[in-house]
Amino acid sequence: MLVLRLARRELRGGVRGLTIVLLCLALGVAAIAAVGTLRAATDRALAADGRRILGGDVEIDTGTQPAPDTLRAWLDARGARLSAIVQMRSMLIAASGQRQLVELKAVDPAWPLVGEAQVQPPQALASALGEREGNYGLLAERVVLDRLGVHSGDIVRLGDARFEVRGELVVEPDRVAAPLILGPRVVITTAALPSTGLIVPGSMVRYALRAALPQPAGGARVIAALREAFPDTGWRIRDPHDAAPGVTRFIDQTSLFMTLVGLTSLLVGGIGVANGTRAWLDARAQTIATLRCLGASTRLIFALCMVQVMALSVCGVLIGLVVGTLLPVALDGWLRTVLPVPPVLGVYPLPLALAACFGLLTALVFSLAPLGRAARIPGAALFRDAVVPVRARLPRGVLVAIAGLAACLIGLTVVSANDRMFALWFCAGAVATLVLFRLGGWFVMVAARAGHRLGMPAGRLGLANLHRPGSATPMMLVSLGLGLSTLAAVALIEGNVRREILEQMPANAPSFFFVDIQDPQLARFESLVRAQPGVQDWHEVPSLRARIVAVNGVPADRVQATPGTRWALRGDRGLTYAATPPPGTHIVAGSWWPADYAGPPLVSFDANLAHGWGVGLGDTIRVNVLGRDIDLRIASLRDIAWQSLSLNFAMIASPGLLAHAPHTHIATVRVAEAQQGGLLRRVTDTLPNVTGIRVEDVLVAVAALLDQAAAALTATGSVTLLAGVLVLVGAVAAGQRTRIREAVILKTLGATRRQIRAAWLVEFGALGLAAGLIAALVGTLASFGVVRYIMHTDWVFLPGTLAVVLAASLAMMLGFGYAGTAAALRAKAAPMLRNE
Amino acid sequence: MPSAAGPVNILRGIDLEIGAGEVVGIVGPSGSGKTSLLMVLAGLESASSGSVWLDGREVTALNEDALARLRRTTVGIVFQAFHLIPPMTALENVAVPLELAGVADAMERAREALGAVGLGHRLTHLPGQLSGGEQQRVALARAFAPRPRLLLADEPTGNLDQATGDAEMELLFRLRAETGTTLVLVTHDEHLAARCGRRVHLADGRVTHVEHSIVEVA
Repeated sequence: MLVLRLARRELRGGVRGLTIVLLCLALGVAAIAAVGTLRAATDRALAADGRRILGGDVEIDTGTQPAPDTLRAWLDARGARLSAIVQMRSMLIAASGQRQLVELKAVDPAWPLVGEAQVQPPQALASALGEREGNYGLLAERVVLDRLGVHSGDIVRLGDARFEVRGELVVEPDRVAAPLILGPRVVITTAALPSTGLIVPGSMVRYALRAALPQPAGGARVIAALREAFPDTGWRIRDPHDAAPGVTRFIDQTSLFMTLVGLTSLLVGGIGVANGTRAWLDARAQTIATLRCLGASTRLIFALCMVQVMALSVCGVLIGLVVGTLLPVALDGWLRTVLPVPPVLGVYPLPLALAACFGLLTALVFSLAPLGRAARIPGAALFRDAVVPVRARLPRGVLVAIAGLAACLIGLTVVSANDRMFALWFCAGAVATLVLFRLGGWFVMVAARAGHRLGMPAGRLGLANLHRPGSATPMMLVSLGLGLSTLAAVALIEGNVRREILEQMPANAPSFFFVDIQDPQLARFESLVRAQPGVQDWHEVPSLRARIVAVNGVPADRVQATPGTRWALRGDRGLTYAATPPPGTHIVAGSWWPADYAGPPLVSFDANLAHGWGVGLGDTIRVNVLGRDIDLRIASLRDIAWQSLSLNFAMIASPGLLAHAPHTHIATVRVAEAQQGGLLRRVTDTLPNVTGIRVEDVLVAVAALLDQAAAALTATGSVTLLAGVLVLVGAVAAGQRTRIREAVILKTLGATRRQIRAAWLVEFGALGLAAGLIAALVGTLASFGVVRYIMHTDWVFLPGTLAVVLAASLAMMLGFGYAGTAAALRAKAAPMLRNE
Repeated sequence: MPSAAGPVNILRGIDLEIGAGEVVGIVGPSGSGKTSLLMVLAGLESASSGSVWLDGREVTALNEDALARLRRTTVGIVFQAFHLIPPMTALENVAVPLELAGVADAMERAREALGAVGLGHRLTHLPGQLSGGEQQRVALARAFAPRPRLLLADEPTGNLDQATGDAEMELLFRLRAETGTTLVLVTHDEHLAARCGRRVHLADGRVTHVEHSIVEVA
């Protein structure tokens, strides 16, 4: 074929001009392929280990109540092997008085049904947990042993009971590595649980029954039958496909964010593609004009150039795919420490195909316009001095093709995302950002044109470079700007979250939460707190655990709730009661009940959840408290400031019925730093079943988690910036010849090096300033959208963060300008001035 | 001149003195060192030995920036390839050396200079929008605008057709006569060289002979 033959001949001449196209695509595709591969590898790990992570073929989470015997009998009848576990938080206290908040898991002898627990020193689980010389055994994670300074054989206390530490729990098969926010794991046997006195009505405890079926494949059928046999129980029944829903959600969200950031870098790469293609075609203008003179049609020229650009694009995409596949392998060691499950690395065709599609579509969308224009270069160009670029109009067919391919790109982005609405918003945002930068570029050019009339002589050349016909201003602006916008948005979102959680802590935030205080213990607790020096403030409320059964008669699992409020329909919720509104209550609808109200139960509900569930005043929420269903009618809606860390409950019921149900109390205490240890010791020594959670410890854990998330996002965002830098380097390099020429002419006319340098610093400084300002604006808008509408928290303006973005932008641009200028100033004048 | 194969002596033992207001033509075959001589005179290339004195100052002793400052006020250069700055309008191109020299009414003087070369109506055009002759006239205006004491012209008609070239040279000689500037003109156009009061013939980097015109053409 003629086109291919010509293309091969031309490509022989080298592809230097198109290298930037290749690099830009490789970078973007590598980012997307790496994220996709990692995601697939994690999914496969979760799927492969689903049974182990779930701890069986079916798990029935029966909430705060143990599984009834009827359920056991039903499962027994189907030949299932059963294991019951109980989980709660508690304080583990060493003989030294050191204490540690732990996630306690009580297991029966059948545990674990799947996989194997590993204990150090090696021993049988039954003997490790069993009773010996009056004490049951206890296994704990390394971190617990280290923090308490205890070893095998030491005696520790949990609630009222003494346990002997029998070793370290090295591998807990049914646990997904999760960040340690509320405490590391301790395992005991369920037989020892009663002696601890930790389980009282109203305790924050969770029971689950796992079943290993004779035919694991029939799990779905058994679950369907189970739901039918035990309707309306509110149990959460899960199979291995859904072994770690929290983790899956986390991975879904993280991979979505990272994919979108990857797409942003591909977008920047696309600008590099457009720019590289244009520069390459400019250099080829003479060849093209010659071919036209020799009788080549526009169609042939178009095909000829396109074949060459696409050949390089395909190479770029392939390099990207290889890098994207290898990158997770290279990072394997580190990934194992940060991911909830060790990823099963390998070649995953689907994410790779997706990344390749993204790359090729981007290459097409961004190269078609310059290709279409180049094809229109007339043969006559050979005979004319084509200094002023010809603004050839694009053929209609090319315009339609660009629009169609861009639509495909957006479609693919949306369809391949798990949160399509968010992806759609992202696409809209990306398009708006491109338009914004284009407008910004136009504005800079207009301002430069206006400004250079009054400017200093040094500044004039710099400003003239900004607004000259065919100037690279808009392109340089957007290529640096997109990366900066991404980083600005990430920094602002992170800053907002951090401020929300850590810095925005109200001055009166409590130092401790004490949970599971039993009714008869309340007076004792109160006297302890009052006697403790340094206590500044304390509050106590009754606490019940309630499961949402139905909302207005619709079962909880069928309620149409917004994604942001669905969580509240799952699992147990805290419920309290009060005769009068607690201090700081902000009622937005309805009214509080009279203090002596004794009618049917009413509830004051969280306005945000009410909105998300589509309920309002007068509607009914059916909750299950200690196995009993209670209908609560919504009497008022409250705005809740969760971040105040005071005792907030989504549901506050009227007293009466609930006051007579067995329940515990939760207290918050604000105490001087120096007295915190003393208070915790006194309370948990006197009331062994009470658990004290130090707010600061939780915040430190949250901050560490936040650091990790921010680091991951910043790293991905940096890829975008890197892509931008690549494009920028290309642009500066492309303009270098002109720059050297101008430096020489200026020197000839009497310009000192200082004056020339100043001129270019004006040019790059103006670009850096504009890019930084627009990036700050885009970052602000994007972070506002995410913080306000996805995270549903208050957004604040963070001028410090934006100042850093602006400074970085200026510094980078000036750096480029300086590097380019230094090279241009070194150039010798004479060779350039001699007659060519 | 330094080269990959060691230094190459392009100019050898040139001993030339040019008086103020003189019009000197440098002629010779290609590669004889004409342009190199001009470059050395302008301080754009340095001589490996010997010295160049301009207006009482030793050019060869100045550093790059001092040379630039000297050129600003004292030396105007006209090139064969015009060497205008593409993103700047005609007016701005002419104003550049004046602005670099810190002349207060640079724009006003640039406008006058363009008026003097007959381009008063092309002030806002970019070089790319001007014809070759017009570009050379902008370059002439730029060279004359700072009222230099020395004007160096390197094959100024080389890129122009005969008729345009003749017209531009009329203009060059008229402006020179009006300003009294010293002119050093590199050319191999015999006709053009004949208009110079003194013609220095170069061959192989040496002055072979010098001719004096009987009539100095104004």
